[in-house]
Amino acid sequence: MGDEAVFSRIKKQLGLGKQPNNSITTETDGPLSPNIDKVKERLNITFSECSDYVQREIVCGEDNDIKILVSYIEGLVDKKLLNQDVIRPILNYFSDTDRSGRAKSVYQLIKECIISNNEIHEIVNMSQAVYRIVSGDAVLFLNGSKIALTVGVKAPPGRQVDEPDTEVSIRGSREGFVENLSTNMVLIRKRIKNPNLKFEMIQLGTQTNTDICICYIKGIANDEIVNEVRRRVIKISSDAILDTGYIEQYITDNKLTLFPLVGNSEKCDKLVSKLLEGRVAILCDGTPYVLTVPYLFIESLQTADDYYDNAFFASFMRLLRLFALFISTMLPALYVALVSFHHAVIPFKLIITLAASRQGVPFSPFVEAILMIMAFELLREAGVRMPRTIGQALSIVGAIVLGEASVAAGIASNLMVIIVAITAICSFITPPLSRTIMYIRFILLIIANFFGFLGISLTVVVTLLHLCRLRSFGVPYMTPFSPLTASDLKDSFIMVPIWAMLTRPKALFEGETEDKAGIKRQEANRISEN
Amino acid sequence: MKTNKLAIIFVLSILLAGCWDNTDLTDINIVTALGIDKDEDGKIIVTVQVVEPAAVPLTSSSNGGGAGQTKPVSVKSYKGETIYDALISMKSIVDKRLFLSTVQVLVLGERFCKDGINDALDYLHRNNQAEYLADVLVARGTSPEQILNIQADMDVISALYIKGTVENTAVRAKVERKMLIELFKEIKNKCRQITIGQITKLDGKTVKTEGTAVFRDGKLVGWLDQYQTRGYLFVADKVGNPVISFSAPESKISIEIIQSTGKKSVIFKNGEPARLSVQIRLEGNIGEYIGKEMLSKPEDIHKIEKMLSEEVKKEINMALNKAQKDYSSDIFGFGEYVHKYYPKYWKKAMDEWNDVFSRLPADIRVEAKIRHTGLIKSPMKKDE
Repeated sequence: MGDEAVFSRIKKQLGLGKQPNNSITTETDGPLSPNIDKVKERLNITFSECSDYVQREIVCGEDNDIKILVSYIEGLVDKKLLNQDVIRPILNYFSDTDRSGRAKSVYQLIKECIISNNEIHEIVNMSQAVYRIVSGDAVLFLNGSKIALTVGVKAPPGRQVDEPDTEVSIRGSREGFVENLSTNMVLIRKRIKNPNLKFEMIQLGTQTNTDICICYIKGIANDEIVNEVRRRVIKISSDAILDTGYIEQYITDNKLTLFPLVGNSEKCDKLVSKLLEGRVAILCDGTPYVLTVPYLFIESLQTADDYYDNAFFASFMRLLRLFALFISTMLPALYVALVSFHHAVIPFKLIITLAASRQGVPFSPFVEAILMIMAFELLREAGVRMPRTIGQALSIVGAIVLGEASVAAGIASNLMVIIVAITAICSFITPPLSRTIMYIRFILLIIANFFGFLGISLTVVVTLLHLCRLRSFGVPYMTPFSPLTASDLKDSFIMVPIWAMLTRPKALFEGETEDKAGIKRQEANRISEN
Repeated sequence: MKTNKLAIIFVLSILLAGCWDNTDLTDINIVTALGIDKDEDGKIIVTVQVVEPAAVPLTSSSNGGGAGQTKPVSVKSYKGETIYDALISMKSIVDKRLFLSTVQVLVLGERFCKDGINDALDYLHRNNQAEYLADVLVARGTSPEQILNIQADMDVISALYIKGTVENTAVRAKVERKMLIELFKEIKNKCRQITIGQITKLDGKTVKTEGTAVFRDGKLVGWLDQYQTRGYLFVADKVGNPVISFSAPESKISIEIIQSTGKKSVIFKNGEPARLSVQIRLEGNIGEYIGKEMLSKPEDIHKIEKMLSEEVKKEINMALNKAQKDYSSDIFGFGEYVHKYYPKYWKKAMDEWNDVFSRLPADIRVEAKIRHTGLIKSPMKKDE
């Protein structure tokens, strides 16, 4: 029963895309008037103070009886194309008086014989017309006709397809997504030449009317997950959707976790491989970042390069990343615990080195660690926000002057500088988790200062428990480890060669969606009540 | 409610069991060596060797001008009623808390050992800080204070220098390496008497670790020299790779033992122990051969094997004699054999076992094999 209800709601919502029922159009709602002057008047009211709105009236025919109003937004349409496909054919056709007296009506003539553009739609509603105009189509109103025509001559300004800055790979495609939705769709389609690749369009944002596209491969993606994605995306009610980041925050399973439960990528090849594994992608007009769900923990250790390279190297790199993850979360806390509590487990020669490096440092190891890590976080934030040209100077000041000077001044010990540096390096190795790690690092550091190894181990246990409880679109976050999915271990810490990966990830098909789990829980409750 | 209770339990378990002893590394004195002795009045003298990390040249931060001014190690002694008392009272002459987990060498004084160590080491066992892997040694003819006060020129931390010599000589079976944890086990073991390595002071810079201190019922009774120590270690099956040298007519031979297994047993007759039996199997390589005879034929090698087993036998005999006649102390652990195979007799004779042991004659069988002769077989000589 749940599915049908969901579907009917989806259909309704999908229909809404074509007749947006929202605030911009309330005063213009209603059927089109056949009188072109009335239409013009209403459009002028709707677009008053919109200096980018353009309308042109064409008057032609034997007795100047054919009146056409062309409306569009300047800059969103390709003027050359509009002239070539619409205006010039109409003027040419009707200037030749002999042809005008045919059997077909003027409306049909224009639609079927004159306009040379392929993308023509009929609309009967004023609000539709306004929506098409603001989306970048040209709309033709005909005097005496209740139906208007839209012509697809969109040419919004945008960026060229470029290599993404955030995800650099050594091998593999350099194409990254751009801000334009249709370009992104083309980039995916050209890699999967298959009609089973589906793009479902939805408009979100009551003010922005942003195009959102749910993309999946029918037959590979789990239908339950696709339904769940649709359900959650449609549920979003917001004024504006400016980036997929907005969507991510609405559709994530657990809104109070530090761990990312929705993946994002700028790389086309990466996204395509995720689609082929059975994941669902969510594209949004205006941003190059595409979301993928479900997103599992292990994905933050995977990179596109792994699959293009020899599995031996890739496996080693995976283990290295896991090690880096461990180091970047734990190292400062372990150091503080060792130096503050557990002197007895430090080897003899190391304890002398440690004690010598701590000599003369006025702060406790904890304060020292917090100071240095904060300095690093500040540097990083400054580096991200600053203009690129100044960045170089900043890194010199930060790395050399701060590090060296703080040791020379006796404020920090050599070893602490080394530890913070290693931690910083390691935190860049798993970018999806880097901010999560930063949080856990601070928590661990505080706990380590008060409770030593005991506190660290308890915190790690609690974190692992939390990880095992998390779900992304019904799929347990820690699969294939918990629950153990033996066949999915092939692509985890150790990776088998591509020719030996014979099955798709099983986890994506066994997971329960939220609905089902909820129903089960309800049933269980009912039984227990009886 | 349930989650609340769980949360309380969780928080309490951290708060109540958490590590309470937060001390910075700069607030402790790193003790590298500990010496324990007794004075004439029966008071305990505890000596500690404390390292000053910044003055140790092996660390990079010390290569400034400061290295010459402060000494890398300083030695302090203090008297007290017990070890614990002395260590705590010592706080009046040292600046920071004494941290004992870094102790590398524990040196016991002769007088302290003669009065018995069984009970006296209680503190080191009771305290959670003591380093169980510290090497224990007994100072012969000198006091622990003097041993720890040497200005070793091989290593700035003299404790490390002492530890290094113990490691060297233990491999060559000239001293028995005994860690604190092993000593604790032996103190509890009634079937075997305690032995501890011996340390002597040669001059202000050098120590020598050779020989063994023999205990009976926890009290120091005498010493074994380096050859007797080796014989003892052959029987106890604790030799590493000793080099055994002996001279035959017209030649001198040094053989490195590469493998040795020692088995000991007690032969019973009519329910009473009759003989001690020792079986040693060893394999060796010829390390050096100074002589004229050729070593090309198997018979030549057999001759050397025989000489080697005689030599080992001699050393074992010396050790056994010393332990039986002079000290009457079963340091070899024949008692363990009796305990294991004749438990009834052991229960009866446990207390006078050392005397029984001293009376028993011993059969010693040594099987020696030579495996390699090195790069050459026969000694170098001119072609004729």
